[in-house]
Amino acid sequence: MLKILKLAFTLTVFCVVSAGALAYVFMFTGPKIESNAKLAFERSLKEVLPGAETFNPVGKEGRIFEGVAAGKPVGTAVLVAPRGYSGSIRMLVGVDGDLKVKGIKVLDQRETPGLGTNILKPKFLGQFIGKSSADKLEPKKDVEAITGATISTRGVCEGVRAALTGASEFAKGAK
Amino acid sequence: MSLWKDFNQGIVKENPVLRLMIGLCPVLAVSNTTMNALGMSAAVAFVLIGSNLVVALIRKVTPDEIRIPIFIIIISTFVTIIDYVMQAYAPVLYQALGVFVPLIVVNCIILGRAEAFAYKNPIFNSVLDGVGMSIGFTLALGSIAVIREILGAGAVLGIQLYDPAIAATIMILPPGAFITIGCIMAFLNKMENKVM
Repeated sequence: MLKILKLAFTLTVFCVVSAGALAYVFMFTGPKIESNAKLAFERSLKEVLPGAETFNPVGKEGRIFEGVAAGKPVGTAVLVAPRGYSGSIRMLVGVDGDLKVKGIKVLDQRETPGLGTNILKPKFLGQFIGKSSADKLEPKKDVEAITGATISTRGVCEGVRAALTGASEFAKGAK
Repeated sequence: MSLWKDFNQGIVKENPVLRLMIGLCPVLAVSNTTMNALGMSAAVAFVLIGSNLVVALIRKVTPDEIRIPIFIIIISTFVTIIDYVMQAYAPVLYQALGVFVPLIVVNCIILGRAEAFAYKNPIFNSVLDGVGMSIGFTLALGSIAVIREILGAGAVLGIQLYDPAIAATIMILPPGAFITIGCIMAFLNKMENKVM
């Protein structure tokens, strides 16, 4: 009985010391981690909607961000997460005032390296620029699909379509 | 002499990856680019040296029955520290390594060295063992990554050497890791047989 108490006590001491050490490290890395994530997201917002100076989250789910330049709205950036080949593809789509795609940035994806990851290439993402909800946005029709990555291609198309829908709904609501 | 041996054995003779063949999971996964491999090696080195040091330090007050849970606590503390630090100061690298940073906890190299070496040896020897094993791990992971990146993506450290369109994509996919590790092991064995 005494033995088990001694063991439990030793283990507790180790846990407390380790928790203390972690709390100490988190104290000075925590805020930095948070500001890193925020900075990275803001940079992505500016990348997909160049010209906008500040972004205000609008809508209920916090997925749409209205870009403002010189006090006037210039468009929206929409966060979408369509399904890719493995897991979802988190991406930001910038939509300008005429409801046309201005820029796309993939934030997070787990596609197959060398095949699905080709969706990150500017050559592929570039073909969406200027498209609107009037376009079909379907692989092999008005979007050139990536060889060996049909599902990833379809995912991105779906995401862009969803973003355009979201942006136009927001634009209707704003008027 | 003994100190030199403690330091030396991890580099070639008992190289954790190519000889003991432990901790292969992260080796297979993150050796697709040289940058990832170096980042992973640095994280593993920090955890390995740190846990070896602490395990050796407390080896006399650690009850035999619960040594493994205590090792795990020590290792996971170091892993979480490096996880926070990387997230704060190297977010790009952290994103590339993804889940493999937290998974260092279950990397058998680290628990293996704690149990087989640090628990039975003085502090200085244990740190040397950690440094040696880390160098061995870095050399193995680094050479695998360089080979895979050159053949599979036509680049080293992201610097393009030739047109990636003619590169063998399979080399940066999982099979490439097995093929590369197999070839390096075969080469090492052949060299050793020659020496003997």
